[in-house]
Amino acid sequence: MEQFFQQLTNGLAVGSIYALIALGYTMVYGVLKLINFAHGDLFTLGAYLGMTLLTSLLLQDRLGTAAGLLLLAVMVMGLVAVTGAVLERAAYRPLRESPRLSAVVSALGASIFLQNALMLVYGARYQVYPDILPQNAVSLLGLTVPVVRIAVVLVSVGMMAVLYLFVQKTKVGTAIRAAAIDQGAARLMGIDVNRVIRLVFMIGPALGGAAGLLVGLYYGQVNFTMGWTYGMKAFTAAILGGIGNIPGAMVGGLLLGVIEALGAAYLSIAWKDAIAFFVLILILIVRPSGLLGERVAEKV
Amino acid sequence: MKTATRLSLVLILAAIGSARAADTIKIGLLAPLTGSWASEGQEMKRNVELLAAEQNAKGGLLGKQVEVVVEDDGGDPRTASLAAQRLTTRGVVAVIGTYGSAVTEATQNIFDEAKIIQVANGSTAVRLTEKGLKYFFRTCPRDDEQGRVGAAVLAKTHAKKVAILHDNSAYAKGLADEIKEGLKGKPVEVVFFDALTPKEQDYSAILTKLKAAGPDVVFFTGYYPEAGLLLKQKRQMGWKVPFIGGDAINNPDLVKIAGVEAAEGFEFLSPPVPKDLDTAEAKAYVAAYQKKYGEAPSSIYGVLAGDGFRVVAKAIEGAKATGADQLREYLVNGLKNFPGYTGKISFNAKGDRVGELYRVYKVDKTGGFALQP
Repeated sequence: MEQFFQQLTNGLAVGSIYALIALGYTMVYGVLKLINFAHGDLFTLGAYLGMTLLTSLLLQDRLGTAAGLLLLAVMVMGLVAVTGAVLERAAYRPLRESPRLSAVVSALGASIFLQNALMLVYGARYQVYPDILPQNAVSLLGLTVPVVRIAVVLVSVGMMAVLYLFVQKTKVGTAIRAAAIDQGAARLMGIDVNRVIRLVFMIGPALGGAAGLLVGLYYGQVNFTMGWTYGMKAFTAAILGGIGNIPGAMVGGLLLGVIEALGAAYLSIAWKDAIAFFVLILILIVRPSGLLGERVAEKV
Repeated sequence: MKTATRLSLVLILAAIGSARAADTIKIGLLAPLTGSWASEGQEMKRNVELLAAEQNAKGGLLGKQVEVVVEDDGGDPRTASLAAQRLTTRGVVAVIGTYGSAVTEATQNIFDEAKIIQVANGSTAVRLTEKGLKYFFRTCPRDDEQGRVGAAVLAKTHAKKVAILHDNSAYAKGLADEIKEGLKGKPVEVVFFDALTPKEQDYSAILTKLKAAGPDVVFFTGYYPEAGLLLKQKRQMGWKVPFIGGDAINNPDLVKIAGVEAAEGFEFLSPPVPKDLDTAEAKAYVAAYQKKYGEAPSSIYGVLAGDGFRVVAKAIEGAKATGADQLREYLVNGLKNFPGYTGKISFNAKGDRVGELYRVYKVDKTGGFALQP
């Protein structure tokens, strides 16, 4: 039983990172019907920027660990958001009227470009984050859980909650949902769809960048190819929850993480990924539009 | 008329090009310059280029200058096959490389069909030399020797329960099987035998499962990036069971990734690391490397690549030819106890290096690798 709960917490921590990245995929798909293949590399960019800023500015020494990390997160998210907006303007906006395939190819090209740019700037070796997070563990319900693992889950869930409230309760969030349902009608309602799209390309990558920073702090190791593995898992999570559906991405991410961890624990570690994807296939056969359905259309 | 002019122009250029090419002897280097093992690949390149420059300063080989043709295999079998194909079109007489066993395996048949000598420097999987390929050699030892040494190390720890973890790659699984073989008949129980997925970062699920199996010691046969993360996360979990590693763990990046506290006390098998090479020529070489690149070589596999280059150069000089059959003949029969920087080198008919090379290392308090007696 103890192993079950330990693996559950493992799965939740990994899953919450998948969920953060999946949000970027799902938001962009919801509004543009485009899978942003470069999203995984924006996640990697966040991890690398976090490392650079952390080692050069030493905010944790000047402001204390908590405030320093908060400021670092804001900076990283901001920078990645700007990159996302530039990416949208350069790679996707000119192809808005073109066939869908052109945008897909452009997304792949952007992904290759970003990945290799990171490799050329930072080198091909593994880079390491400085060790600044507390390494101790707490006793929770009889388990020894590292503090950082709990922190990762809480921070991710917190950010997802903020995003959910933003999208549901604010005017801008409503505009995003409207543009996701029907761009033409939204335009007729006076919504500046270009602005909405740009906003989506800033929020999604910002969350992805935050996930990158979290991964860097938690695991300590970054590499220019890490966007590929995480991106693929997060994309799977987004589909699992229903692509275009924001709560779906959150649920999908957490669920995928837990399935992976429990599959590794009780079946076989070597088959862990196969098990996770097998479950994805099963769920899609039963519910093709994902667990929470594609883009729940609401009466606005 | 225009076609004829163009055609003749192309032929002239080709003739000039090949005439230029005939003035150098090309030796290829296939290395993981990018990808998970980029630090190994970069060192391989540095070692071979330094040695080529030294050889050229001495007058080259058979009166011609040596040119090193470098191709990146990316640490991936698919990229490696393409890189190997490219090398076969560049007129190389021999290829040094590569590091990962699965990657080398993908390129063996390509070089064998093109009749190009291949000298691997880091691929220790046993089956690479059991296929009867005439032109394949390796300066690194092989995993059956490592399996014996690994089992002996485990026996010395007086552990009753052992967990073996690999990563499903050709090398790691092979070594894990060898260790398991070596433990047969000994009073040791293998309580866990499974694989992790490389390139992932979260091993908490695996470590939790390992812990639940209750081993006294864990033998990890995979590569250094994963080993570093395993050690780091094991420490985060507060789990104190000792880990032992195979020779692919031997890279200073291990300590960088894991952090010194997590890596301290970790033992692994390896051919001697560069700082422990004890012949006078080896020390002089390390000093020359330090002078050119500003730091001493940190990985033995780079130096093994260097020794690979040196045996090829010696074979070319000894056979006074660059044909693959003559070179093979010289390497198997003519080269005896060649004074390599990593020790004396002779090859048997399978292409394996003769001799016992493996030692046991332990990571000390400062993160350095200390040779164990």
